[in-house]
Amino acid sequence: MDWIGQHWLDWASLLLIAAGVLWLMPGAARRPKVVGVLLALAGTALLATRVDNFSSPIGESVLFWLFAAVAILSAVLMITNRNPVYSALWFAIVTLSTCGLFLLQFAPFLAAATVVIYAGAIVVTFVFVIMLAQQSGATMYDQRSRQPLAATIAAFVMLAAIVGVLQNVGESLRDSNPRPPRRTRPLEASSADVVANPLSGLAADEPLGKMHAIGRSLFGDYLFAVELAGTLLLVATIGAIAIAPRRRRGTL
Amino acid sequence: MTGDVERYLVVGALLFVLGALGFFTRRNLIVLMLSAEMMLHGVSLTLVTFSRMHHNLEGQAFTIFILTVATCEAGLALAVILALYQKSNSLDVELWTDLREADLPPPMAAEDAGQRPFVPPEPKTFPRLTPAGVVPDIRDEHDPDRVDDAASPTAESPLEPSKVEDVIKTAVR
Repeated sequence: MDWIGQHWLDWASLLLIAAGVLWLMPGAARRPKVVGVLLALAGTALLATRVDNFSSPIGESVLFWLFAAVAILSAVLMITNRNPVYSALWFAIVTLSTCGLFLLQFAPFLAAATVVIYAGAIVVTFVFVIMLAQQSGATMYDQRSRQPLAATIAAFVMLAAIVGVLQNVGESLRDSNPRPPRRTRPLEASSADVVANPLSGLAADEPLGKMHAIGRSLFGDYLFAVELAGTLLLVATIGAIAIAPRRRRGTL
Repeated sequence: MTGDVERYLVVGALLFVLGALGFFTRRNLIVLMLSAEMMLHGVSLTLVTFSRMHHNLEGQAFTIFILTVATCEAGLALAVILALYQKSNSLDVELWTDLREADLPPPMAAEDAGQRPFVPPEPKTFPRLTPAGVVPDIRDEHDPDRVDDAASPTAESPLEPSKVEDVIKTAVR
């Protein structure tokens, strides 16, 4: 109980976001959207004050909270929008802000690849399918959600469990390792206690995001996995062409 | 929870949970697949954070594989969605319950029993301008039967008010 009392602000922030999602969920009653968005924003801001330690470089903090708030808010709007076209567009914004977070974590190649694949291919394909398959006008299944209250409770209990585990692990790490964090590299390089695969590890002074090192890891340690992924792509292509419905007459 | 890593992990967990929530609650097949992709985003962010945490490249390599699998999943899922749409003319996921437990009622009946019937919302009305081109009543004052030559082509023009309204209706529709 003491543990809950210590962290009640965290739970309150999660509760605020959950209330915002529940408010925005499509249902029988028409509710003003602004209230839900404000609730989710307030929850995110409260979570920000709880998570941020205000000791990391100010630029990274500002960028992180910009990208994180945009990602969370767009995610809430994506899963609650009644129009699937708008859902796809909000998903594109979620993708872009996730790529911003990748960039902040020294993964520029992944950020570029994610933008190209998601925003360039997957979202466009989704929009094409919406054009092919969407019925005109408002449809019943977009206006009603399935068990919104129970699903929201379940999802946010899961989130609270994850956040609780993170808190416990963080506190135990800090207790056993009381050194102040270094400014130059904000994270403790703990490669000593985590053994990487031989070609995926980095020397302590080697930067993280170099494409040379990623290629070494992919085509060294994970060569067979790369071949398997290529085969998977081929199989998926053939399968998609086989499954996709053909017109009544003529080919495709 | 004041570490530099945890905040990225919290955002990753939030993205995953919101995606799962969308997957649970929404009934449109396309939104369902979008939510699944968002769960993959959350996992990718977590893996990249782990990679930075331990200062090696395992997490980033895994994320590239996640990208591959997400692409395959999207392509196959959209093909399946198109096939299902051609069979039922609807994207409602509740229509496909053939494999449920035999003694359970279909979920749609249990769900809609306590709810008000669905009334489609009113179509939106947009402001529109008054149609221009109303034919003025110009007659020769000496000969009332003779219509002025300048006015006669406009009487047959496509800008007649009733036709203009038809054009606007089709455009709005």
